[in-house]
Amino acid sequence: MDFFSNRPVPEKIRERAERELGGDRAVFAIVGDMDLGGKYNESAMYFTERAILAFDKDLPGGFRRVDFSDLEKTEVKRMYGNALFRVRMKEGGMQDILRFTFSAADIADVAAIYVNTVIEDGFSEEPVEMVYAAYMKQRSFCPKCGRKLPSPEAECINCGGKKKLLSKFAKYVYPARGRLIVCIFLSVFTTAMSLVPPYTTKILVDDVIPGAVNGAEAALHRLALVLCVLLGAYLLQYGVAAVRGYILRCAGDQIVIDLKKDIYYKAQYLPLSFYDKTSTGSVINRVNSDTSTLQAFILRITQEAVVKFFLMIGLAVIMFTMDWRLTLFSFVTIPAVALIGRFFGKRISPKYMRLWRKSSAISTLLADTIPGVRVVKAFTNEEAASAKFSRYCDSWMAEDRKAAATASIFPNIMTFLVSCGTVIIYAVGGGEIIRGQGGLTLGMLVAFVNYAGMFYEPVNFFANLSDSYQNTLASAEKIMDILDAEPESNFGKGKTSDKMDGKIEFKNVNFSFDHSKKVLDNINLTIEPGDIVGIVGTTGSGKSTLINLIMRYYDDYDGEILVDGKNIKDIDMGWYRSQIGFVQQDPMMFRDTVFKNIAYGTPNAHVEQVINAAEIANAHTFIEKLPDAYDTMLGERGVGLSGGERQRVSIARAVMKNPGILIFDEATAAVDSETENLIQTAIERLIRGRTTLMIAHRLSTLRKANKIVVVDKGRIVECGAPDELLKLKGKYYKLVQIQSMNDELISKKREENFE
Amino acid sequence: MPRYVDGNQVRFTVKDRIFLDTEFYSGEKFEALEPRRLFPVSGGNKYIALLDENGNNVAVIRDLDAFPQEEKEKVLSALEEFYNMPRILRFIKMTEKYRIWMWTAETDKGVITFEIRNHLTAVKPLFDGRILIKDANDNRYEIPKFDDLDKKSKKMLFPKL
Repeated sequence: MDFFSNRPVPEKIRERAERELGGDRAVFAIVGDMDLGGKYNESAMYFTERAILAFDKDLPGGFRRVDFSDLEKTEVKRMYGNALFRVRMKEGGMQDILRFTFSAADIADVAAIYVNTVIEDGFSEEPVEMVYAAYMKQRSFCPKCGRKLPSPEAECINCGGKKKLLSKFAKYVYPARGRLIVCIFLSVFTTAMSLVPPYTTKILVDDVIPGAVNGAEAALHRLALVLCVLLGAYLLQYGVAAVRGYILRCAGDQIVIDLKKDIYYKAQYLPLSFYDKTSTGSVINRVNSDTSTLQAFILRITQEAVVKFFLMIGLAVIMFTMDWRLTLFSFVTIPAVALIGRFFGKRISPKYMRLWRKSSAISTLLADTIPGVRVVKAFTNEEAASAKFSRYCDSWMAEDRKAAATASIFPNIMTFLVSCGTVIIYAVGGGEIIRGQGGLTLGMLVAFVNYAGMFYEPVNFFANLSDSYQNTLASAEKIMDILDAEPESNFGKGKTSDKMDGKIEFKNVNFSFDHSKKVLDNINLTIEPGDIVGIVGTTGSGKSTLINLIMRYYDDYDGEILVDGKNIKDIDMGWYRSQIGFVQQDPMMFRDTVFKNIAYGTPNAHVEQVINAAEIANAHTFIEKLPDAYDTMLGERGVGLSGGERQRVSIARAVMKNPGILIFDEATAAVDSETENLIQTAIERLIRGRTTLMIAHRLSTLRKANKIVVVDKGRIVECGAPDELLKLKGKYYKLVQIQSMNDELISKKREENFE
Repeated sequence: MPRYVDGNQVRFTVKDRIFLDTEFYSGEKFEALEPRRLFPVSGGNKYIALLDENGNNVAVIRDLDAFPQEEKEKVLSALEEFYNMPRILRFIKMTEKYRIWMWTAETDKGVITFEIRNHLTAVKPLFDGRILIKDANDNRYEIPKFDDLDKKSKKMLFPKL
């Protein structure tokens, strides 16, 4: 394999390394970004087949060679925002040879494994390949746009069919295009009708009313005729506007609903890491509020903007035809309006962004506290919760006031400038009529002022468009945050098998949620089909994370997980998950009937299938005693059922899937002994012939396990048959001892109480 | 309940830059304890836990500022090594390509360029006026006071707040 490094090696270090390497072959290098003193600086480590060469200005002479033969082991010490590569010398204890930020921490982890493996087993290509895999993962960038990819072969969602912002939203407009086009035509019609009244005013002022001197009857006849035309124009204008309003609303609904559906659909396929960083309140805010903002803007652009643009052109032509000099005077203020509009846009945009954050914080707080109202009440925290909500609302209000000040002042300045145009027309045109100059008549002036007023309306509209545009941009960005987010990768789409046998292998798996702490450290484990494996360890040791990786909730790990010999990333995600039955400690129930909660994930389940599943799960007995039995409507999160009952419904749900692999994550942790027995019997019925992984604190629940895996601080410290581990007298033995003592104490207490 | 220690109860010796050999005046000795701030964002020098190599809590320093200067400096030097949260003095450049931001900033530890994927989650203004930033690699940065930044930096950062 050719030499590789996580980043280009700085020239000076490269030159020095070439000198220091002598005859050694550099296998790979890690380029750091800090010096040992903790300042940002250039540093690097070269790894050969038998030594590490470290280059750092804080090392004596800026360089140090550490031969593997002098080493006991190496490790990466992850701290807060930085990490140290440490070597434990056979003589001289632990020493630091490189410091770096978390940007190099992942590859440094596997480099430490490389060194430790070479120290133990001698050099081979296998550990190099492991480092190379981590290196490839780190440099998985789209060659076209530079965006980070989930794996080297992954298609870039940005370049692969994803287009720019506008075209992305255009797809939502497309289905409503027919209605929108009709609306545009109707708008043109109503706009044309709106041009009639000023002209009739001119006729009234110049011809009809002064015409009374030549005969009142004829004048009255003409007046009635003109008024009929005026009335007809108004009737057509507002009648058509009503029809247009209805069609437009239907089109708007279609746009917003399609957008909401897409966001919700995408949200289902986002990885858990997205939800780790994004609050549910913020997601709800995007589905509800931001889509409506966007809908309003899309309609403004596709409808009003088009119509106003043509109206502006039409009016300009009419005004120029009537009096070109007066028209030019009326345009004097327009450049100022445009400039202020631009300035306003820049001022208001960050304010809307901040306002969005405040509004999102309120939604998040609501999403947290309303479902948790039982806890709020239990701790009599109503006042504090209300006070916190008030504080958030006040903070939003303060921000909104700042935005409102800008949003109110600037548009009015623009409107004022536009109104100044009217004053100019009166000044110039009125002067001409009084002085009797030019051919301007009073009727023409009145009509001109009317047309000018109508002309300023679209000018005003476009000047103020930046306000709603900036507001919409803030919302569009939040929506794109979801629509553009990397979904769970499904490289193996379509790759399914007839059956999952259930062999699970972990190969050199390392994982951390946020770089600051390694949650799983070099996990190597093989589980044979039909094995019943108990996973034990203290809280926070990494047991559930192990399961989360099998479930593919997180894909961003180093190493490989294989099921039936295939990398789980290369298996069709939907099929893969459908083959795993997962029973959690606190199972989620949906607001639906018991029947539908059991049949969740099996939409066309037969009634008897559901009843059988409930029987296997020891749930049927309590369900049939409920007044509405299988039709019992559960409250939010399963309100109406006890913890043990919810657990049995969740086991029944797993039975429905008929899975190849079963996973129980502390399934009996929160129930009493009697319920535990019921659940335990249900589990034992279910696991026959299936690969089963059980996380348990109560070791008594693992009585059927033929293999025990003890996890401690992210590492597998013991693995084997329960009897073998007991003989080892290690960690598992201690756990069993502690638990037996506890059980003994509990039974003694019970006896005392009984007596 | 954790064992709280005050200034006159303990003596430290820094070991390997991030560890503290700790000797209580009662005679108890602990080797290589790791000081960890219990409130790294909000707590300043208050409530610092001392953990042994297995991560077990041996003691908690209530208020480091109440310790004798010499002891305080030893603990602070170990903390300084462990916690890397540079203070941003000014922003030099913020560029964006396909909604991935590269920010270049001058900090009290030198100039650094880091990647921001989503400034909505990466930038967190606190009520006390500080701003915390977490980059795409989970490295942390702090702006002690927004108002103390120069005009250009403020202009660059403000829309992201």
